[in-house]
Amino acid sequence: MGEKLAMVVFSGSADRLTGMAILAGAASAMDWEVDIFLQLWGVYAFKKDVMKKNLNFSEFNELKEAVLKRIQELNLPMWFDILREAKETGKVYIYACSTAAKAWNVTKDDLEMVDDIIGAGEFLEKIRDANVTLFI
Amino acid sequence: MSEFDPSKIKVDKVIDARGTSCPGPLLAAKRGITEVPVDGVIEVLSSDPGTLRDLPLWAKKVGHEYLGAVEEAGYWRIFVRRKK
Repeated sequence: MGEKLAMVVFSGSADRLTGMAILAGAASAMDWEVDIFLQLWGVYAFKKDVMKKNLNFSEFNELKEAVLKRIQELNLPMWFDILREAKETGKVYIYACSTAAKAWNVTKDDLEMVDDIIGAGEFLEKIRDANVTLFI
Repeated sequence: MSEFDPSKIKVDKVIDARGTSCPGPLLAAKRGITEVPVDGVIEVLSSDPGTLRDLPLWAKKVGHEYLGAVEEAGYWRIFVRRKK
């Protein structure tokens, strides 16, 4: 059986989601399965009306302008494009926490790239054989 | 020790991943290699030095054959044969 990466994503800031997307991309490129569980801010950040407008930074906000400028100079892709490419070319499954979905009053149709809305227990069962598990 | 000579290789597809960074070149290689026949060769162009280390590992992991790499001005040409 192949390798599996599990990521529980509580964060919703664009900088942390970039970290998540790069790991998902690299794992997917190496033919790993990737299972992502979005919690609270993670679910919020995947809302269709939020995703592409999200420029929240979790730290060093005084460097935000400089970082955004540098990203443009290097022509780096946005986190959601990296994640989409990973999902289209590999086994990347994205789940939203059912409680968070209720809190934000969203269904699957309100979210981008989410495969299903499930509870924590179901997700834990899915990832019990994961080789690597991360909390972001 | 013999140098890797790319002129002897028939390349089926060139994937230009210059200007992209990890995981960009890996994902481009993964997508691109499905577009050549088995035993066909892809040539990945990358300006990211990390790719020089990533691609041979990737090829080994997913079951393709890393053939070699050549350095050009500002980028590398990396050759991989599709084995499955």
